[in-house]
Amino acid sequence: MIEKEVKEQNSIPTSKVERSTQFVKTGFKIGGNYVKHYSKKLFNPNLSKDELNEENAADIYESLSKLKGSALKVAQMLSMDKNILPKAYVDKFSLSQYNAPPLSGPLIVQTFHKLYGKTPDQIFDKFDLKSSNAASIGQVHQAELHGKKLAVKIQYPGVGDSISSDLKLVKPFAFRLLGMSEKELNIYMNEVEERLLEETDYELELKRSIEFSKACSVLNNIVFPTYYPELSTKRTITMDWLEGKHLKEYLQTNPSQEERNIIGQALWDFYNFQQHELRAVHADPHPGNFMITPDGKLGVIDFGCIKVLPDDFYNPFFSLSSNGFFESKEKTLKAFRELEMIQPNDTPAQIEFYHEVYCQMITLFAKPYTSNTFDFSENAFFDKLYKFGEMLSKMPEFKQVRGVKHFIYVNRTNFGLYNILHELKAIVQTDTYVPQLSLQD
Amino acid sequence: METKEKLQEAYIKYVLTNGEQPKTVFIFAKENDMPEEEFYNHFTSFESMEISIWAGLMNTTVAEVKAQEVWGQYTSREKALSLFYSFIELLKGKRSFAIFSLKKAPGSIGNKKLLQGLKSKFEVFSAEIIQEGIESGELMDRPFFANKYKDALWIQFGFVLNFWLKDTSPGFDKTDQAIEKGVNVTYNLFQRSPLDELLDYGKFLAKNTNVKMPF
Repeated sequence: MIEKEVKEQNSIPTSKVERSTQFVKTGFKIGGNYVKHYSKKLFNPNLSKDELNEENAADIYESLSKLKGSALKVAQMLSMDKNILPKAYVDKFSLSQYNAPPLSGPLIVQTFHKLYGKTPDQIFDKFDLKSSNAASIGQVHQAELHGKKLAVKIQYPGVGDSISSDLKLVKPFAFRLLGMSEKELNIYMNEVEERLLEETDYELELKRSIEFSKACSVLNNIVFPTYYPELSTKRTITMDWLEGKHLKEYLQTNPSQEERNIIGQALWDFYNFQQHELRAVHADPHPGNFMITPDGKLGVIDFGCIKVLPDDFYNPFFSLSSNGFFESKEKTLKAFRELEMIQPNDTPAQIEFYHEVYCQMITLFAKPYTSNTFDFSENAFFDKLYKFGEMLSKMPEFKQVRGVKHFIYVNRTNFGLYNILHELKAIVQTDTYVPQLSLQD
Repeated sequence: METKEKLQEAYIKYVLTNGEQPKTVFIFAKENDMPEEEFYNHFTSFESMEISIWAGLMNTTVAEVKAQEVWGQYTSREKALSLFYSFIELLKGKRSFAIFSLKKAPGSIGNKKLLQGLKSKFEVFSAEIIQEGIESGELMDRPFFANKYKDALWIQFGFVLNFWLKDTSPGFDKTDQAIEKGVNVTYNLFQRSPLDELLDYGKFLAKNTNVKMPF
């Protein structure tokens, strides 16, 4: 009888087993896609690899979106860095920013029962059991109370537990997709895991949302929802419902240059105010976290991911982007060393090499900061960025880890910001909030 | 409260405080100020009493879920989910008794005599929502197999109950996940699948071409 019970236990689709099967399926499908591709290629040698990439991306996305939670988050992160992924991957992964299969209505009721001791109907005047959209580790429902439209974000149960196991499962795919070494990937994964675990802490998110939206209320053309702590719990957050469109829908309405500039400027100010005044930044600039309201303002709806910038990172990092900094090679090398971009056991020849490549890279990346205004519609700038990224990814010198872990989220934030501004084709005044460096030699 | 329910409650209380069944019906009856015959008017033994307690839990759950305002809008799948969640929620208040009662009853969870009463209530409910699902087109009406859907749901119920007994996660969150995934998997099997399309195509070919099917 005991044996039988054990067997029954095994038959339950416990998270990891089921998740693994999901990935195994993907593996098979991708294998199949390659077979399909090469058999087609036998007859048509001109067939481009794009089609294959497209099929692979669709299958990977399908599997990731079934997993939800942290795997979905990784999909979102990957989709931010257009420079390392072929275009087909990017398009498919971007889908994850908008859609994920929803939780069942009864589970929502059950979750409410646990958290509030009441059903949704008993708390709100109206509550829509069908979720309006996914929020990567949760989903958003529309509700109404005292004539006010509210958004209730509900976290998927068990997300916290599954993060570590999910990331382990994503690893082999990340290896293949990104071609990173294990050590490199571990630094990346640990930092991601840390941020993700923070993101599952809705009490922390609520606290931060209130703090950040208050601190950022001095900025123009940005709106934040009001948060309701008394209607929030450790797995739900209740806030005002913001009317508006997501970036892609907004762009389909053909907004004028002036309108796009306003949104772009608001985004720029939002990020640079946080980086330089608050020293902590909303590190999740994927388009799903923003709305454009009917009166043409930027709505920010998610403060789950905050990256705090410690002084020992902030000072060397932003001093690099200040004008004329590279004139002193000594100072530059000191900053590179502090940021571990140049490491203690590097040979003089390596130091020379990295110094030169990094100077080129930073000059390129910091270009928007070097003038008062910058036109983000400029394709040439982005082409150069992507090309540079591609070149780096092919250099054996950059196969191993370089740089402190803080780079991951700070780079993602700034690169994400650039990408959104590029999509907006906005012209932005870039000297509104500038680095405040404590002077030191 | 009726004598029957009073006796059930007194029995549960006894088991919870003493960690065992009362030694004899006589002692139990005496403690509840009644002659032994009176007990037999309601139950034939402690075992039959436990069977009726479990059946009662399922009855209460069914009545509870059906009383929900949103019930009418639920699909068959959601109704099944709702029943599973509510049953486990109800059972939480009686976890110690549930563990005691299930552990000492012989047989695997799906076949326990102890759960026979509960099972028949469960099957009536399942048959009802499955029929609804078939009528609305949500579920696939397969000859012969459709009658077995309720058995598949019962197996799933056994899994979930077993999972919950061993669940140590705070708030039994893992059980919620087991229900969500398990019931969805089961229901996906009830829906129209590529296999149905294939059979359908095969039938079409067999009728409309001279090709002899290889099976």
